[in-house]
Amino acid sequence: MSGAADIRDGAGVSFGREAWRRVWASRASRACLAVLAIFFLTALAGEIANDWYAWRDATPPWQQQDLSVRYQAPCAEHWLGTDGLGRDVGLRLAQGARIAFQVGVVSSLIAIPLGVLLGCLGGYFGGKTDDAVIWLSTTFASIPGLLFVLAIAMVVGKGLLGVFLAIGLTTWVGTCRLIRAETLRQKERGYVRAARALGFSHGRILFRHILPNVVHVAVVSFTLRFPAAIGTEVFLSFLGIGAQGQPSWGTMISSARLRLWQGMWWELAAVTAAIFAVVLAFNLLGDALRDALDPRLRAARD
Amino acid sequence: MWRYVARRLWQAIPTVAGVVLITFVLFNVVGGSPAAMVLGQNAGARSLEEFDAARGYDKPLFFGNWTDTRALDAVDFETAAPGVRAQWGAGESGWLRLEDGQELALPFAFQPPAGERWRLTIAGRGAGFPRCGKKFSTLWKNSGDFSTVWKKIFHGMEKPAFRAEGGSAEIRSVKLEKATRHFFDSQLVDYAGRMLRLDFGTSTSLNQPVWSLLKAGIGPSLALTAPILVVELAVSLTLALLCAYRRGSWLDRGLVAVCVALMSVNYLVWIVFGQYVLAYRLGWFPVWGFESWRNLLLPVFIGVATGLGANVRFYRTILLEEMHKDYVRTAFAKGLGEGRVLFKHVLKNALGPVIVNVSLALPFLYTGSLLLESFFGIPGLGYLSLNAIHSSDVDVVRAVVLVGALLFTAANVLADVALAWVDPRVKLS
Repeated sequence: MSGAADIRDGAGVSFGREAWRRVWASRASRACLAVLAIFFLTALAGEIANDWYAWRDATPPWQQQDLSVRYQAPCAEHWLGTDGLGRDVGLRLAQGARIAFQVGVVSSLIAIPLGVLLGCLGGYFGGKTDDAVIWLSTTFASIPGLLFVLAIAMVVGKGLLGVFLAIGLTTWVGTCRLIRAETLRQKERGYVRAARALGFSHGRILFRHILPNVVHVAVVSFTLRFPAAIGTEVFLSFLGIGAQGQPSWGTMISSARLRLWQGMWWELAAVTAAIFAVVLAFNLLGDALRDALDPRLRAARD
Repeated sequence: MWRYVARRLWQAIPTVAGVVLITFVLFNVVGGSPAAMVLGQNAGARSLEEFDAARGYDKPLFFGNWTDTRALDAVDFETAAPGVRAQWGAGESGWLRLEDGQELALPFAFQPPAGERWRLTIAGRGAGFPRCGKKFSTLWKNSGDFSTVWKKIFHGMEKPAFRAEGGSAEIRSVKLEKATRHFFDSQLVDYAGRMLRLDFGTSTSLNQPVWSLLKAGIGPSLALTAPILVVELAVSLTLALLCAYRRGSWLDRGLVAVCVALMSVNYLVWIVFGQYVLAYRLGWFPVWGFESWRNLLLPVFIGVATGLGANVRFYRTILLEEMHKDYVRTAFAKGLGEGRVLFKHVLKNALGPVIVNVSLALPFLYTGSLLLESFFGIPGLGYLSLNAIHSSDVDVVRAVVLVGALLFTAANVLADVALAWVDPRVKLS
C-alpha cells in the first residue's frame, strides 16, 4: 500500500515543488531563507521609510547629524553605535540593505531577461542566430569585468543608474551561456519533437514549451549573481561612483575605514557582518538550489 | 597542430573587432567628447573644439560629409530655451522674425577658421526669405506660407550674411556644419585606425602618451599579480587534493565550509582589515609603499585569501568529477594506493580544466588589482586605471580595457591550444 502511495506522490509532485521540498529539508537552507527574509524585510522597511521622509520632505533620521553623540560605541540607545557625524549606524545599515537589494533586483531585471532571451534564441535556432549570440557573448566576456563595470559607470555618470546598467550589461553573459547550453539539450528531447510534429510555431515551442524547462537555470543564476551584484555595488559606492548622498554599504565602509584607524570599529564591523550574512546566505542557498534543480550535478558532487 | 593554432587565431578576429566596436559605442557614442569634463566649465568653445580635433571627436560618428561644430550651436526656435533665444535676439516665443532689409546676426562662439569648408543652413519662411534653396517641408505648404532652406557654403573668415529682402522673413532653425575630408572620415574609422596602429592617445590628466603609462605600470602590476597567481594555484590545488583525498571526512566538510565563508567576506573588508590589523596594529607588514619585496607580502596574502575559496571549490569539483570515472575504479581494483591513484591518475586527467582556469586568469595579471594597488600604493595599471576613472581620463581607461580584452582573447586561444596539446581527446578538426 505504501509503495503505491509513494508512486502516486512522486507522480503528482511537480519538478519545482520537489526541488523546493529538497531545499526546505535542509536546516542550513532554512536558516539561509530566514536571513534573506530578514534582509528583504529590512530593505522593504527602509524603502518605505525613505519614501515617507521624501514625501514629508523631512530629513530622515539616518541623515540627521548630531555631533554631541558622535563616535558612540554600541549602547542601549544606538544599538550599533553612531558614526563620525552622530548618525545611527543601525538605521544607515538598513538603508544600505535597501540600496543593495535594489541593485541586486534591478541589475537582475536587466541581465536575466537579456541572457535568457539571447540564450534561448541562440540555442533553439542555431546557425546564424547562434553565431551572432556567441559572438556577442564572447565579445562581452572578453572585456575585463571590473574595468568594464567601472567604464560603464564612468560613461553613464555617478549614481545608481550607472551601477544598475554597469552590472546588468556585464553579467548577462553567464546566464546566456547556461541557458543556451540547456536549450540545446532540451531541443533534442521528445516533447520538442512532438510539438514540432504538431505544427506549433517556433515562438510557441520556444516560449511555452522549452522556456519552462530551462527557467531553473535562470533561478540558480539569479541566486548566484545577486551576491556578486551586491559586492560590485559596494565596490562602486566605495569608490564614490555608486550611491550618491544615501547611505550604502560601500559608502559606509569608505567612511568607516578612516574611523577604524582612530579605533571606531563598530561601523565597519556592522557592515562587514551584514554583507557577510547576506552573501553567505545567497551562496549557500544557490548551492542548495543548484543541487535540487539540477539532478545531473548531484552525482558529481558526492 | 599549427593549422589548429592558425584557425583559432582566425576565429578570434571577430571577437577583436567586436571589442573595438563595443569600446567605440561605450566611449564615443554613449560617452561623447570628454572635452568639457577635462577642460572644465569655463573653457572656451575654441579650445573645446581644438581638444576634439586633436582626438578625432570633431568627426561624425559613423559616416557623413558634414559634421557639427562648436563655433555655432544649432538652434530650433520652436524648442529653444529663453537663454538661447536671447542670444539670437529672438522674441519670447515663435520663430525668429527679420524685417525687410534686416540682417541676421550669427552669435558665433568663435569665428569659423579659414581653410575649412563650412555650411550654414537656415530654414524658415516668409516673403523676404531668399529663394535660393529647396523646400524643406511639405507640412507648411498647406498654410500658404512659402518655406525654404537657405544654404551657404563658405570658407571661414568671410561673413555668411543672411538678409531679408522684399518682405519680412521668419527663421525656424539655424545650423552650422564643418566639411569632413571624405564620406568615411568618421570617428569609427579614425578610432579603428588608431587601434590598428596601437596609438592609444594621450592621457588628459597626466599629459603623457598612454602607451608609456602602460609600459611603466606593467612591471609593478606583474610584481603583485604573478605571485598571487602562483601561490593561489599551489595552495588551492593542494587543498583541493586534500579535500578529494579525504572526501566526506570532517576535514573535507570543514574546508568546504571555510571556503564558502571566505567567499562571502567582502573584498574591501579583507583589505581594510588586513591593512589595519596586520600592518598597522601588529606591525607585521609595511602599511604602504612600493620600495622592497616586503611591501608586496601583505597585498599578495590578501589577494590569495580573497580568491582562495572559489578556487578550492572549483578544483575540488573537477577532481571529484574525475574520481567517479571508470579508470579510477580500475586503478583501485588492481590494488593501487589512494595517494598513487590521486596524484598519478586523477591529477593528470584533471589537468585540462586547471590549465584553462589558469590561462584565463593570465590576462588579469596585466590589469593588475584595482583596489590592492590603490590601497597599498603600488604604481601599477590598477592604480593607473582607478585614477583615470576618477579624473575621467577616457583615453587611459579605454586603452586598459582594450588591451585587457585583447589579452583575454589571446589567452582564450592559448587555453584551447594548450588543452589540445595536453589532451589528445580534443579534436583538432
